Amino acid sequence: MAAVRPSIAALTAIYAKLGNTTFGGGDPTIAALQRELGERRGWLSPEQFALAFSLSRVTPGTNVLAFCAATGYQLCGWMASVSAVLGASAPSAVLAVWLTLGFESAKRNLHTNAAIMAVLAAVTGMMVASAFALARPSLTRQGWPRVLLLSGGTLLLREAWNFSPLQIMAFACAVGALWLEDGAQ
Amino acid sequence: MNPLLVYLLLLKANLISFSGLASLPIVHADFVQTYHVLTERQLNTAVAAGRSGPGPAGIYIVSVGYLAAGAPGAVAGYLAVITPAFLVIPLLRLLHGRVSHPRLRSAIRAILLSASGLLLSASIPLGRDSLTGWFAAAVAAGSFALLSFTKVETLWVILAAAAMGAGSAWMSL
Repeated sequence: MAAVRPSIAALTAIYAKLGNTTFGGGDPTIAALQRELGERRGWLSPEQFALAFSLSRVTPGTNVLAFCAATGYQLCGWMASVSAVLGASAPSAVLAVWLTLGFESAKRNLHTNAAIMAVLAAVTGMMVASAFALARPSLTRQGWPRVLLLSGGTLLLREAWNFSPLQIMAFACAVGALWLEDGAQ
Repeated sequence: MNPLLVYLLLLKANLISFSGLASLPIVHADFVQTYHVLTERQLNTAVAAGRSGPGPAGIYIVSVGYLAAGAPGAVAGYLAVITPAFLVIPLLRLLHGRVSHPRLRSAIRAILLSASGLLLSASIPLGRDSLTGWFAAAVAAGSFALLSFTKVETLWVILAAAAMGAGSAWMSL
């Protein structure tokens, strides 16, 4: 459990705010939550994030909701887990129905489209920032070969050979268990 | 269509898939081919609506439920989307308390670095779709700089980008 326990209301507000304003699918939302809960507020440790991230990938269904359930549980227990999932998804679900009804007219609206495209561009920058934030603590004189192998290797395996995230994380897990990082002994 | 059946069919589709749109072939087989409650076009609209809004790609399931059974179907679809998420808790409880072991801790740190690579990889198709000109590239670069080197709230960056996007369309940039 985290050293600092936020209130369930504060947590729910963050999940609702980021889960329902981040376009581009689940990964941008995970990136935004990692930044907000981890870097900005210091509630979620990198280890907790890694555990929630990896387990959410092996949980059936929508990864980002499993991530919300896991991080909510890590920070404040069952109630927070439920409210995190509801907060991150209920408004989007209502919006999805509304968009289903008015999809054609929304698609034809030039300003709406331009706003969505700009948000997607911002989200692209946000995802690169989040990837950088995750690797930054390990970018030391001793740590960079691990970053190169694990972050760079993941990118290569995914983009060049189309390995699945599950296969890549299993590989990373095995590398991490065999090649202990400095200070882990 | 009976909302309970909608729930069970959509839950089945969600339980045997591991990412947002991976459930689509199963949904297509059940709702379009077997039960004939949705047309190809309706399913496409549901997917497009799910992908056009914020939130996970898998939220299109809610639209499928709505088109199949109205408001109760949408509720059934929503419940089918969120139910599997809680399966992560038993896994978390299983590993909790073992994370202090050096090998497990090192493995978790390795997964963290791998997650960094996965996020970069996920940003590539998004960037390919959205970075269509100098304005979008500037928005992405500004977003990266603000989020990496300042403590500004993510929501403000997203809202500012939306406002600038709408403004650029208005000024026909």
